[in-house]
Amino acid sequence: MAERGGRAGGFRKDTVDRLLRLHFRDGRTRVNADAQLLVAELLKVFVREAASRAARQAQAEDLKKVDTEHLEKALPQLLLDF
Amino acid sequence: MAAAGAEERQVLAQRLKAAVHYTVGCLCQEVEEDKDVQFSKQTIAAISEITFRQCEIFAKDLEMFARHAKRTTVTTEDVKLLARRSNSLLKYITQKSEELASSNMEQKEKKRKKSSAAKGERTPGEQEAAVTENEDSNMA
Repeated sequence: MAERGGRAGGFRKDTVDRLLRLHFRDGRTRVNADAQLLVAELLKVFVREAASRAARQAQAEDLKKVDTEHLEKALPQLLLDF
Repeated sequence: MAAAGAEERQVLAQRLKAAVHYTVGCLCQEVEEDKDVQFSKQTIAAISEITFRQCEIFAKDLEMFARHAKRTTVTTEDVKLLARRSNSLLKYITQKSEELASSNMEQKEKKRKKSSAAKGERTPGEQEAAVTENEDSNMA
């Protein structure tokens, strides 16, 4: 369980659980273990996509430093994809 | 009472935001190495904030999906539904879900072998019961 709970470079399973439960309207709603891992994976993809799309935008402008304006340009499509 | 609850919630939200920020930092570092770029601190903070807000949307959708299926527990089926907007994302999440399911099966198989080896000969029915008991205590 340990290696799956604290996967290096991703979201921890119990962090995901708390994040979701923070926003549930009904306190009785639970998330099963596999679903927690799958949401962790989804969030990882989301963050990596946000970062790589912003990076690509910066590279298109011949820059190595990625700034918020690059993220801003990539954001609308990112939010449409998730 | 209500005020104390709200304050507690705020503290928890802050801690979770910090956790998200940390993980986003780690993931951005990987992208930096892959793509040979550098993220400004503000960009990483912005991605963290977006991710945290996206979590709210995810949570509310998942809760609704589960309720629609007349469940109070969110399952992998609900998460798959969450990834419906992009074809490649849906494919990836479905594949991950299958991997999780098969690794669970493998673990069950291992436990079954272990428990049958440890406890000697038992009827299959008894073995099954032993396996489920073990699993419950491990999951907690």
